[in-house]
Amino acid sequence: MSLQHYLVISSILFSLGIFAVLTRKNAISILMGIELILNSCNLNFVAFSRFVTPAETIVGSEVFRFDGQIIAIFGIVLAAAEAAVFLAIILAIYREFGSIRPDEVDTLKG
Amino acid sequence: MVVPLISIILLAPLASFAIFALLGLAKRNFPRQDYLSTFAMLVALGCSLLLIQEVTSEPTPLTVEWLSLGSVNFSMGFYLDSVTVIMLIVVTLVSSLVHIFSIGYMHGDPRYSRFFAFLSLFSFSMLFLVVSDNLLGIYIGWELVGLCSYLLIGFWFEKDTAANACKKAFLTTRVGDVGMFIGMMMLFAEFRTLSLYGDTGIFEAVATLESGQIAWLSIAGILIFCGAVGKSAQVPLHTWLPDAMEGPTPVSALIHAATMVAAGVYLVARMFPILTPTSSLVIAYVGGITALVAATIAIVRFDIKRVLAYSTISQLGYMMLAIGAGSYVAGLFHLTTHAFFKALLFLGSGSVIHAFHAMHAHHDDAEHTEDAAHEHADNSLVHEHGSEIPPDQDMRNMGGLRRKMPLTFITMLIATLSISGVPFVFSGFWSKDKILGGVLGRAMEWNSVHHYILFAMALIAAGITAFYMFRLIFMTFFGEPRNQEMHDMAHESPWVMVVPLIVLAVLSFPVVNTLWFNKDYIEPPPQHHIPAPQHAYVSPDSKIGDANFGFSLFGVSTAQAAEEDAGPDTAQADDAYHIHHRAHNIAMVLSICVAGLGILLSWLFYHRRRFSAEGVATTFRPVYNLFWNKYYFDEFYDGVLVALTVWKSRLFAKFDLSFIDGIVNGVGKITRDIFAAFIGFFDNRVVDGFVNRVAEVTWAAGGRIRKIQTGAIQTYLFVVLGGIVLIILIFRLF
Repeated sequence: MSLQHYLVISSILFSLGIFAVLTRKNAISILMGIELILNSCNLNFVAFSRFVTPAETIVGSEVFRFDGQIIAIFGIVLAAAEAAVFLAIILAIYREFGSIRPDEVDTLKG
Repeated sequence: MVVPLISIILLAPLASFAIFALLGLAKRNFPRQDYLSTFAMLVALGCSLLLIQEVTSEPTPLTVEWLSLGSVNFSMGFYLDSVTVIMLIVVTLVSSLVHIFSIGYMHGDPRYSRFFAFLSLFSFSMLFLVVSDNLLGIYIGWELVGLCSYLLIGFWFEKDTAANACKKAFLTTRVGDVGMFIGMMMLFAEFRTLSLYGDTGIFEAVATLESGQIAWLSIAGILIFCGAVGKSAQVPLHTWLPDAMEGPTPVSALIHAATMVAAGVYLVARMFPILTPTSSLVIAYVGGITALVAATIAIVRFDIKRVLAYSTISQLGYMMLAIGAGSYVAGLFHLTTHAFFKALLFLGSGSVIHAFHAMHAHHDDAEHTEDAAHEHADNSLVHEHGSEIPPDQDMRNMGGLRRKMPLTFITMLIATLSISGVPFVFSGFWSKDKILGGVLGRAMEWNSVHHYILFAMALIAAGITAFYMFRLIFMTFFGEPRNQEMHDMAHESPWVMVVPLIVLAVLSFPVVNTLWFNKDYIEPPPQHHIPAPQHAYVSPDSKIGDANFGFSLFGVSTAQAAEEDAGPDTAQADDAYHIHHRAHNIAMVLSICVAGLGILLSWLFYHRRRFSAEGVATTFRPVYNLFWNKYYFDEFYDGVLVALTVWKSRLFAKFDLSFIDGIVNGVGKITRDIFAAFIGFFDNRVVDGFVNRVAEVTWAAGGRIRKIQTGAIQTYLFVVLGGIVLIILIFRLF
């Protein structure tokens, strides 16, 4: 398993996420697409951290850096918070418009 | 000492007025304005008397720089010579006495304090005029006395006649003042200064002019004399003075007899050095004609104050005649004596009017139910005589008053004797004789026809003066009462009014002459442009020839002896001396004759009733009408000048309405119909069109561009994604 494999999987995940965000007619599905995009990014962080960042030699032994992994964990936490806010917005939109289809919520249409 | 004394003289009356004015701002009244004003005048009188000893033979102007415009400096200052001092004494003395008289005369007037405040302001203005050393100061004082005259003539402004009279006085004198101002400006344009004295003054500059350059100087002199014509009521601007008698009588005495009207004479005397033969002759003729015209009008007046007014005009003409004929000292001497006896005559007439006036008020109270009948009687009087005379001033209502008002009678008689030129014991004789002698002296000296004519005018006027003044006395004080009812009510005036009369009566004796016969004291200023006569030039006033009468008759023979010792040192001067001596003898004899003749005729006509005045009037109807209608001067002004002005205004109004308005309306029409239409079109089509196009384009563009905003969130996201892809591609490719 080399870096390329991870990046390919990450790209597939990202593309699927974008596809979902752009095409789904349900706000929840869009949220799920966004989660895919976020996770593809997290995967990238971890992969680059594992394969690109050189190991440092500390007190005679090789030690890996975990910067990417830590940022990935931050990303997951962020995604959770984002999901909560997004769901709250969706609830508010539902109350206001009686629908969660983004193409029906077009009050700002020019 | 000179400056503080003059300052006190000026500031005392001014302060009195200022107190009235400042309290007036607070709507308050000084409780005893009459005492305050009188006190201020007495202070000024005291200071004036103190100034006598300050006079020096070579006075210098006391000047401060006042205003500097570029290279031209205007100064303000005092000039103190003997003439100034005498004028100061005359003004303050007459003013003080008039103040005292007014305390009685104006008693109970609703604007009592204001009257005294105005008198104070007038006194200040007149004194300022007298002491000023430059034409600008004189002009300021000149206009101020004009203003005070206006205020005081119109003091009883409820009366239409008074309101009209004060306007007439102000406007008529203004005509002369314009001429005076032009004359001043001519001098200013030539000499770049308005100062009279000193090295840079006008008189010094005039002395250096060549004899060929004096044509304009004559014109300037005549123009300045125009101011005096207005102020001193000379023909043809004399018509305001008789009307000015609408003012309170003390005002007539102070302003319109003794001081302000004499300011014109004073001005001409001040400007004596710039007079040329031409301007002198003009002044003398105007004075002579005035003396004759006014005297003849005075014969037929029945209003006691009008008689005195015309008498004043006539006497002022006399003074002008004297100064125009070169008799500088004689003119100013007559001014002094006239101020006293004419003020006395006016105050005396005021006393008579006061006596009748009190009666009149009483009469109205008692019989106001019969007002209608009373008015009817007044109307018939107006129709009968063609002129409105207040009954308390009408001499036809008087008569026999000498028993009722003995003190008024005696004092007025003294003044009348003085003005008529009754010889030797009355001052008027001396001054009048000095004028006649001066004029005749110059006539004989120059062998000049003009001066003989002037002498004849003066002589005739002197005779007429004696006639009408005694007519006044006979009609007022002698004979039987013509109006018994009014006569019964008449009474002697209170002491506060009689005392000034007595003081002035004393001054009508030759006590004032001492001032004028002091030869070291008075000297006429040199006139550089009066050519030397055939004989050596000796001023008709100079010590020789006239003073000796005055002194010898009062036993002051030493002066005469000293004079003869000094003697004329050339044969020519000797000649002139004899000529003047002879002239004065002739003039004196003639003046005594005409005065005697006048008094005799007056006695025959009005006392003994030997001849009937009405009969004479009927016989010489045209002449009588001429006198009665005052030579038609007023009619002329009304019919010609006023009508011309009205006609001219109408013409201008018509011109304005048709031509100017036509132009304005035409321009308006052109603007509205052509320019406005064009500009409106331009605005509507071009400017608005442009603006509207821009708006339409913007509107249309907005309409298109707003479609971009779909409101669909996914579209936005797609565009964002496309943009990012595009950016990546661009960075990858380039």
